[in-house]
Amino acid sequence: MKRKSIPTELKLAGVLALLMAALSILSPRFLTLDNLTNVIWSVCLIGILSSGAIYPRITGGIDLSLGSMAALMGIVADLFMNKLGVHWIPSILLTMAIGGSIGLFNGFIVAKIKVPAFVVTMAAKTYLYGVALVVSQGAMLAILKPQPFIAIGTGRFLGLPNPIYIMLVLVVASQFLLKKTAFGRKVMAVGANEVAAKLSGVDPDAIRLASYAISGVTSAIGGVVLASLTQQVFAAAASGIELEVMTALVIGGTSPVGGKGSIVGALLGAIMVAFIINGLNLLNIPAPFHPIVTGVVILLALLLNEGHLSIRGLGLGRSAGRQASI
Amino acid sequence: METKHANGDNLLTCKGVTKSYNGPIVLDNVDFSVRRGEVHALVGENGAGKSTLIKVVTGATGRNSGTITFDGEQMPLEFSRKDAQARGIACIFQELSLIPGMTVAQNIFLAKEPTIGRTRIIDKKKMNHQAQALIDKYKFPLKAEAAIDSISIAQRQLVEILKALSDNAKLMIMDEPTSSLTKTEVEMLFEIIHTLRGEGISVLYISHRMEEVYALSDRVTVLRDGKLVSILNKDMISPAEIIRLMIGHSISEKAVHHRLESKRSPVVLEVENITTVGKFENISFSLHKGEILGLGGLVGSGRTEVVRALYGIDPIDSGSVKFLGTPYVPSVKASIAAGIGFIPEERRLQGILATQTITSNIGIANLDVLAPKGVVSIRKELERAQKGISLLNVKPPDPSHLVGNLSGGNQQKVVLAKWLVRDLKLVFIDEPTVGIDIGAKEEIYEHIRKLSAEGVSILLVSSDLPELTRLADRVLVLRKGRIFHEFKDCVLTGEKILRAASGIIEEAADEA
Repeated sequence: MKRKSIPTELKLAGVLALLMAALSILSPRFLTLDNLTNVIWSVCLIGILSSGAIYPRITGGIDLSLGSMAALMGIVADLFMNKLGVHWIPSILLTMAIGGSIGLFNGFIVAKIKVPAFVVTMAAKTYLYGVALVVSQGAMLAILKPQPFIAIGTGRFLGLPNPIYIMLVLVVASQFLLKKTAFGRKVMAVGANEVAAKLSGVDPDAIRLASYAISGVTSAIGGVVLASLTQQVFAAAASGIELEVMTALVIGGTSPVGGKGSIVGALLGAIMVAFIINGLNLLNIPAPFHPIVTGVVILLALLLNEGHLSIRGLGLGRSAGRQASI
Repeated sequence: METKHANGDNLLTCKGVTKSYNGPIVLDNVDFSVRRGEVHALVGENGAGKSTLIKVVTGATGRNSGTITFDGEQMPLEFSRKDAQARGIACIFQELSLIPGMTVAQNIFLAKEPTIGRTRIIDKKKMNHQAQALIDKYKFPLKAEAAIDSISIAQRQLVEILKALSDNAKLMIMDEPTSSLTKTEVEMLFEIIHTLRGEGISVLYISHRMEEVYALSDRVTVLRDGKLVSILNKDMISPAEIIRLMIGHSISEKAVHHRLESKRSPVVLEVENITTVGKFENISFSLHKGEILGLGGLVGSGRTEVVRALYGIDPIDSGSVKFLGTPYVPSVKASIAAGIGFIPEERRLQGILATQTITSNIGIANLDVLAPKGVVSIRKELERAQKGISLLNVKPPDPSHLVGNLSGGNQQKVVLAKWLVRDLKLVFIDEPTVGIDIGAKEEIYEHIRKLSAEGVSILLVSSDLPELTRLADRVLVLRKGRIFHEFKDCVLTGEKILRAASGIIEEAADEA
């Protein structure tokens, strides 16, 4: 393999540019500040959640509990602030700590008891949803105060919605952690080859524990932003969002088997899906068709990223070194 | 041993079989035959071409030229495993081809289950009954309805044999079938092989264990460097002679006393009576500064287990270890911090991060230096990677190249590089040159010698006999988890090592 491969992020940026060009030609409403802000807004939550969910994914696991977790954490934040009278800042910090602890518990079962992450977090998704129902008494609770809390999601800074800044900070922090720190290196190594990582002095169990804890913390942040933005909390507030997060990760080049991934890619992936949906709306294509398009895009992205297809002529490619030998 | 079928006609005849994998010739014009109803042993050193010959015969890989005739029929140049199976060639794997969640009977009749009448519904009763009848016929200690994951490895092998029998196999190929069996299980397997032979089934038996080859086979074929050396009637030879034929008139002899000065250098690693139950017993040795100590023995003799335990991967039950004069309890982290490196035997499974760059692969064992406070110095990381690349002449010399896309030799160089860029005092090296080309092999030897000259102590595990004779200052041969013999101050030959590994001590010891 002599030719240098183009980074996934660059490919995605290219596809995104083409998509934007096409949409701006097809619909005059596309390239307006209002429309673009709307699209970015819908990307924010996915971006925030992806910035943490990418860690379990790169170790070769998955966190499917993040939707239930985000909803529960919104309810918990409301409980602290409006039922227990805690100031909003410690309330948010406590919520993040609880999210991290639940993530740690998931990680413990995955790393130490060796239960597949899919099963562990699927179970967590279910029981956390139950806990959220119990705590909220099955109701949809409105949050009207305190004002600074509401401003987190609804306020604007320099004309742009606050959640965009929160997302950007998290994405940059996550990218830094992944690409520039020893921890990030170890996460990648555990996902690529756990045994080799261990022999090089990495403790795979500790890395797994931390990865799920990080995903728990970002889920809590996502829950807080969502609660503040919508000014309401309920158990099903973020239901199904884990699939959108996984979609963004897959499109962004995070390998479903671990060892590879980029949060910038995931963000571009989330934007792409949002643009596609936005485009379909602008072109008046009925909503039932949207999931069909998204599904096909996921499949194409996966095939491209895993090297089963190549962009050049869409010919059949070969994936690097995945064949088993006898 | 009687050889009643010794004059029978040939079941399998290979003539002039040649095979090369993009360049190097691994089978060179090999003539080979197996008679009906004989036990035929195939022996040779690692890399002699045994596995390739088996792959060609079972259809796992094609051949470049030569003819293969099986049961009177000529086999085409390319045929599949299925073709081979259909004609009666069966390969007994250890456990790989059985489905763990299914029963013995289900595995035996997989894809050929008896059905109810003309329907496609499986007749479970009939299937279990037929399986049990087959088991009873051979008096195997098995139950038709037992699940595969509830029975021992030896029993799984029996299931494999039954599966082959139910396919009407005429030739059963067994590749190192005893490597994970206990003594009584081995005896049972031998009895079964005799029974099979009595029924006119041919068995092709591949083993490194001379005593087994000698006890079982009617004839022995010796391969060396991809060529047929000879086919012998067992009565005509002794185990020691078989070993001599396997090694050949080797140029790999080396006098090992020319580096006696290493004995006067300080002791780096002192191992006293370490034992881990079921793996090794009472291992004691000392390793001096700058010394290359070879660890020989057959696969399964405990070599790898000893180095894994000393590096801190597996626990040691009893005994003591001293590193640089102070008591040392091995753990991977402590080992790395103390300047100990480990090059594992399975490059792909244990050594490389295939999806990552050369830089990341070298970096992962150097994070203590590259990121003392947690943030990786990208500049230092790149410098280390470049240092490793130029030190070991990795090709292509591009730090951002994915290691999974490198050749085997270059992958191994990267695995070495991640340790060699460190300040090492001691390195454990397990099978450093398996499956890599001759050029890269020589380069790796050069590095091992250079390391030793720089004062790094090396514990080298290898099945490659010339590798041990060429590199090691001393060689310990392990057998069944114990140190069987130490070669020092003598003319070291591969033949002597292999004889000791096979438990033949008289001649091995006399020159020591």
